[in-house]
Amino acid sequence: MSLARNRNFSIVAHIDHGKSTLADRLLALTGTMDAKKAVDQVLDSMDLERERGITIKAHTVRLLYRAKDGHEYTLNLIDTPGHVDFSYEVSRALAACEGAVLIVDAAQGIEAQTLANFYLASDAGLTIIPVINKIDLPAADVDGTREQIHDTLDLDGTEALAISAKHGTGVPEVLEAIVARIPPPSGDADAPLKALVFDSFYDSYQGVVIYVRLKDGHVRPGTKILLMSNGRTYDVAQVGVFSPDMRPVAELSAGQVGYITAAIKRVADAKVGDTITEAARPTAEPFPGYRDAKPMVFAGLYPIEDTDYEALRDALEKLRLNDPAFSYEPETSLALGYGFRCGFLGMLHMEIVQERLEREFNLSLIVTAPSVQYRVLTTAGEVLDIDNPSRLPTPDRIEQMEEPYVHSSVYVPTEFMTAIYKLAQEKRGEHKSLEYIGKRVHIRFDFPLSEIVVDFYDKLKSISKGYASFDYDFADFRASELVKLDILLNGDPVDALSTIVHRDKAYERGKALVEKLRGVIPRQLYEVAIQAAIGSRVIARETVKAMGKNVTAKCYGGDITRKRKLLEKQKEGKKRMKQVGRVEVPQEAFLTVLKT
Amino acid sequence: MVSGSAPRSSVLGFYLHVPFCVQRCHYCSFNTAPLEAGQMDPYLRALHGELDVLGGLSWAGDVTIATVFLGGGTPSLLEPEALAAILDDLRARWRLADGAEVTVECNPESVTRERLARYRAAGVTRVSLGVQALDDTVLKTLGRRHDARGARAAFDAAREAGYDDVSVDVMYGLPGLAVDAWVSDVERVLAWDPDHVSAYALTLDGGSPWGAGGVENLPAEDDVVAQYWALTRAAAARGFEHYEISNYARPGHRARHNLGYWRAGEYLAAGPGACGFVGDVRYGNIKPLTRWRAAVDAGTLPVETSERLTPRQRLAERLILGLRTSDGVPAAWLAERTASEPALARRIDEWERAGHLVADGARVRLMESGFILSDALFVDLL
Repeated sequence: MSLARNRNFSIVAHIDHGKSTLADRLLALTGTMDAKKAVDQVLDSMDLERERGITIKAHTVRLLYRAKDGHEYTLNLIDTPGHVDFSYEVSRALAACEGAVLIVDAAQGIEAQTLANFYLASDAGLTIIPVINKIDLPAADVDGTREQIHDTLDLDGTEALAISAKHGTGVPEVLEAIVARIPPPSGDADAPLKALVFDSFYDSYQGVVIYVRLKDGHVRPGTKILLMSNGRTYDVAQVGVFSPDMRPVAELSAGQVGYITAAIKRVADAKVGDTITEAARPTAEPFPGYRDAKPMVFAGLYPIEDTDYEALRDALEKLRLNDPAFSYEPETSLALGYGFRCGFLGMLHMEIVQERLEREFNLSLIVTAPSVQYRVLTTAGEVLDIDNPSRLPTPDRIEQMEEPYVHSSVYVPTEFMTAIYKLAQEKRGEHKSLEYIGKRVHIRFDFPLSEIVVDFYDKLKSISKGYASFDYDFADFRASELVKLDILLNGDPVDALSTIVHRDKAYERGKALVEKLRGVIPRQLYEVAIQAAIGSRVIARETVKAMGKNVTAKCYGGDITRKRKLLEKQKEGKKRMKQVGRVEVPQEAFLTVLKT
Repeated sequence: MVSGSAPRSSVLGFYLHVPFCVQRCHYCSFNTAPLEAGQMDPYLRALHGELDVLGGLSWAGDVTIATVFLGGGTPSLLEPEALAAILDDLRARWRLADGAEVTVECNPESVTRERLARYRAAGVTRVSLGVQALDDTVLKTLGRRHDARGARAAFDAAREAGYDDVSVDVMYGLPGLAVDAWVSDVERVLAWDPDHVSAYALTLDGGSPWGAGGVENLPAEDDVVAQYWALTRAAAARGFEHYEISNYARPGHRARHNLGYWRAGEYLAAGPGACGFVGDVRYGNIKPLTRWRAAVDAGTLPVETSERLTPRQRLAERLILGLRTSDGVPAAWLAERTASEPALARRIDEWERAGHLVADGARVRLMESGFILSDALFVDLL
């Protein structure tokens, strides 16, 4: 089969620059599905997601396009996740392509993730087609955007296509450019099989469905394949393409994009970035760049009802089946009882997992304050990785502590520079470089990861009226003056509320934390003292007064049902409270630690 | 569900709802209707119609009515003849117990000695007077149509009409009500020598004008608590028993109809939005006047909502209602509830340690300090 009329491409963009709108247009224009059906399709898969507890997106779609040259081309659109938490997954998806359509919003211009995606695509050696979208907007500045593309990305701005994905303007030209500018895949169909895993999901009937891009060789049902990262072998059950539903084909060969099933039980056994080859005739070398997805943020997950522990464990096991980037192991907390320490790629990932546990598995959870992983050198010479503040050795046993740092990029109009620097200073940012790009600046900072995981992005957006954009990646571990900040309720430390903070910020944070907690801990039968302490030294205190009055005066005319319903509603709210010693602590209290 | 449910007890209460008000009070979320010309007669016809349907139920002849309560709305808007006709109708269909308690809620501005005397002649034994406050500014704020002088006059009229069971309703926690002003209101009311006082802390309900629109100048929580304690002390000093969270009575003058509610007793109901409890079924009538009338005209029970209580719900209700009273509940009931929930038993121990609850072997009861916190316990008891 000739590859000359195949094109493998991806669409990349900063969030809200119009990636899905363009994708929908391409689908509609090539008759892959009409616009109405495209919408239905998305809804259907979301239902499926709920029903089966799996993530199915239109990860990849095969479009058949008759170009102006009269030939029909097979275009494989490989979708990428759209969040910084998942940049490794994006890089693997891009590695499966020869080209990328890079969308820039005509009104917003280049943003941090435009750039981050551009670098990923360019590192992967892809042909990049710049597209200026939303030219229909009154604020659109097509010429200015062309200039930016030239100045910032070093691409030929005049070659950028000006389109409105919303109205369809210029979209046919995008298809023509994909055919004309992106090279067809190359590869040797006779060489040993070499296929890149760029995504996968778990299906309860077929096992893991692996998304692959074949570089060399071919694969068909019955082929004995080898996964090179773990040495496991499987017999292929089915191969196929997405058009857009899964459609079995007889064979996939070099240059093609499709899927493989092989009765693989866990997504963790076919990880993104892995190389699939033939067991009998393995390829000489796997694709470069494979790595285990590494959790960056850790938090304890505890059931509010102790009796839900088993259910939580089962649910985590099911989720993990489909999400190898997420890790969990049992832990116990004096305050919260039995739960799990879970690792996530980032905060978004954590929120997704939490929401799925609550919605799909009907669990009520307490999530403790997220923590990054610290590195502790003990006086005894051991090196400990600490992702749970309550596991931190006592100060006398600590020789040195290190915390993870990230390299980051901030893009922002010059008028917000001062505010950005102020925020960076609050967040212990180290300024690295400043570059003017027209009316905007590109500032590089190094930040401690712990300072940016939680609310940095929100703050950045709010101080820049939404104009700042942000991207980061892991840098290294650096020595830091860190202390454990404990929270005590009525004199008892609540381990789940402990955090590790920089010494210089401990006082201010302790004070803010107890103030916030006073606001969320409801009045109880007894007065509740809330204290923040470093070691045995109390640095802040607030008091929740004992409950004064909690009474419904009257049951009007014998309407007992109404009274009972009111109490039932309150009880529903109370289900989100955890008894910590004698104090009832609401779920929000743990979130407060997160947001303070 | 209602017509298919027979009462467990042979002695029942009866609640009759008179929805009309000249105007809605700002704190009120109850089912009321403005009294417009020509509304009363169709209402009365429908009420008799409803009594007819209820009286036709197979078990109606087997039960005795021990208490009747006419609530509202403003039942004292009923002409004495109309009230007499209702009570006559009731007696014609059910056996009314000897010495039955028959209460009518009255607004001070709508009663005179003569009207109350004629009510009494019709069989009313008890008057519950909606005084609410004695400060004329506060009364105006509440949207009440009487003043302090009118309230006193109404009370005297009830006495002169021969009632020896007169209850006064008052409210605290009201906007602009200072603690010392409340203390003097309480003293004045108690000095009238009523037989019974009901005192409700203002609750802002979504269905009330204040609940919906908000209200300013509410006293601080500590002040509301102080008002509660001022009343409990003053009432005790005058020999009143604080026999329910919001109710005080001279010995022998507890409200028997309301005690029925708190003992999870059964009661029939008639009138728009009226609530009843028969067998295991709690039900509520259709609230809008015209729809309620139409249902009755069609010869059906005008029931809108009904719910059959599970044994668990019954137990919870008996605990929650019983603990509202100073008699409390049998300790065995509580033990039944906590058997499956050790955490709840620990909570109750805390209440006891804090002195809000007393368990003296056979019975468990809340103290006055527990009354004012009671919802916190009731939520757990559900």
